[in-house]
Amino acid sequence: MSLKKLSRWLFRAGLLILALTSLGLLLFALPVQAAPAPQGEKPGNDFCLACHQKEGIDKTLGNEQLLVAINPTEYKFSVHAVEGVLCVDCHSDISDYPHPDVKADSIREFSLSFSENCKGCHEEQYLKQHDSMHQKALDEGNQNAPICADCHNPHTQPRIIGQSSGKLSIAARKEVPQTCSQCHGEIYAAYQTSAHGSALADGNTDVPTCTDCHGVHNINDPRTDSFRNNTPQLCINCHDDDALMKKYGLSTNVKESYVADFHGSTVMLFEQQFPGQPTNKAVCTDCHGVHDIVRASDPNVGIALRENLLVKCQRCHPDATANFPDAWMSHYEPSPEHFPIVYYVNLFYKFFIPLVLGGMTLFVLTDIYRRIINRVKGAKHS
Amino acid sequence: MSKANELYLRFPLARRIEHWTMFLSFTLLGVTGLAQKFSTHAAAIALVKLFGGIESLRMVHHSAAILMMFGTAWHILVMGYSVFVMRDQMSMLPSLQDAKDGLQALLYNLGFAKTYPQMGRYTFEEKMEYWAFVWGAVVMGATGFMMWNPITTTKFLPGEFVPAAKAAHGGEAVLAVLAIIIWHIYGVHIKRFNKAMFTGVQTEEEMLHEHPLELADIKAGIANRRPDEATLRKRKRMYYPIAAVLTLAMLAGVFGFINAEETAVSVAPPVTSTAEVQQTPAP
Repeated sequence: MSLKKLSRWLFRAGLLILALTSLGLLLFALPVQAAPAPQGEKPGNDFCLACHQKEGIDKTLGNEQLLVAINPTEYKFSVHAVEGVLCVDCHSDISDYPHPDVKADSIREFSLSFSENCKGCHEEQYLKQHDSMHQKALDEGNQNAPICADCHNPHTQPRIIGQSSGKLSIAARKEVPQTCSQCHGEIYAAYQTSAHGSALADGNTDVPTCTDCHGVHNINDPRTDSFRNNTPQLCINCHDDDALMKKYGLSTNVKESYVADFHGSTVMLFEQQFPGQPTNKAVCTDCHGVHDIVRASDPNVGIALRENLLVKCQRCHPDATANFPDAWMSHYEPSPEHFPIVYYVNLFYKFFIPLVLGGMTLFVLTDIYRRIINRVKGAKHS
Repeated sequence: MSKANELYLRFPLARRIEHWTMFLSFTLLGVTGLAQKFSTHAAAIALVKLFGGIESLRMVHHSAAILMMFGTAWHILVMGYSVFVMRDQMSMLPSLQDAKDGLQALLYNLGFAKTYPQMGRYTFEEKMEYWAFVWGAVVMGATGFMMWNPITTTKFLPGEFVPAAKAAHGGEAVLAVLAIIIWHIYGVHIKRFNKAMFTGVQTEEEMLHEHPLELADIKAGIANRRPDEATLRKRKRMYYPIAAVLTLAMLAGVFGFINAEETAVSVAPPVTSTAEVQQTPAP
């Protein structure tokens, strides 16, 4: 009892000293620059770490043990520490020792009880996350659906947005798939084998990671028809970029050649008017794969090989036979080398149409001319 | 007797129905087809919307194609009757005279010939349009079949024939629509508004200007003469069974055209994500 009184007294004295020091510093700094808001009676991080850096301390929640130790070195490099965020800014129910009782019966329940705490500083991300299917899953009772802290451990999260660029740092980009793999392990495994994922593993950050296609905080259900209908646009975001594609010798004609084809023009027209309705026309991923996208030129499973493409065709055209895949021009512009029949048909009409129509127009013009002449002369056309 | 009052039957009702059937199907095919060919154009997008989306626009296109197939089949039967039963003159067949007439008309227009050619039941302009339509129908029918039934097509032909058919179908469509606008609209509606396809008849003056040789034949009584009843009955007994078989064959052809194959599954394939979300909590 007396120990408790003593500690409380010490704490108050400490606070007084802290407050006075802050006031002094504030007065001293005021003419130069507006100082951070006075922190009132909040205890500093050192105060908390005095206990919480002890390894092995834990807290019993129901029948689980939650480790409550914080590695001060790790914490020091977190963006929160760098920005001077106090432990009690997030652990806002604590201002003193002993701490108030924790109501949660499990670690997860305890984590979830913090899900509102990020909103104060990260409202934009918080609101986006609330539009996501992760939040929807959580609302539907899936306790494992991720909250902020599952992807961004608040005690260790380094700075990921470049201060000058305002963009996700290269190092952070490389980490994205691992973050998602915590829950989406099989998709991660498929992604790692893909053209995109294997390049990322080799340190190439030109390739898309999970968030480039699925969004960051407002991740929507990718199994909807609207997501599927929007797939071509998604892929085109990168595959239409001349500079980027040139680096890898990839064609930027994929959009034009897709839209010129039956599938593409249908999906494009369909998407514009019925984005939320299913279409049975193929989008990029139906032939190229979703997370396991491989180069078309892959010697084993690449769809540049007719046999491999036929398998893809047969998903929608079950009766298709060996000649069928060539009905799709494989993103080629018809030329004397690729799809010469199509090329020469186009060439024929390129000349035949103006020839016929030109001839007709000329004849019509002579007829008009004669009628005018005859009218002027008063003669009668036969 | 005033020349203008004498009326000559040019197109009986059946021929007029035939024409307007073709008019309806051709217009629908042209409108819904060009919207697909130029699908990225704003006007095409608006048109697709008007038709209730690309899928229903295609249904209209296909329906109009079926109508044209029926129109063509009917035309073949009518022509068979005309040729084998009535033994009419085959006045639509092109001849060297048509080339000469065309050249003379051109020379006349340019002032190098004194007179405009005198022509019979069908002028060179009309014959040209008719045979262009026949050519177009064959090309559009064949290439349309390939696109409608790509799986059947690629059982017999290289796959490349399907996009080639699409290219030809589109090129031919542009040609056909513009040819109708330039040649038909000018020749039949602008040069002089020809009402024969509405009323079925032409005045003697119109006949004198446009089909003087036919008029002369009619006046001379040597135009198509109706065979005597006994001969007609005999020929009909011959023709009707043939026509019946032909009709069945053509109907089977149209049915095959439409139903040769189930090209694609009707619903979108599921996104092949075998990976389910693991239910493991984050550390």
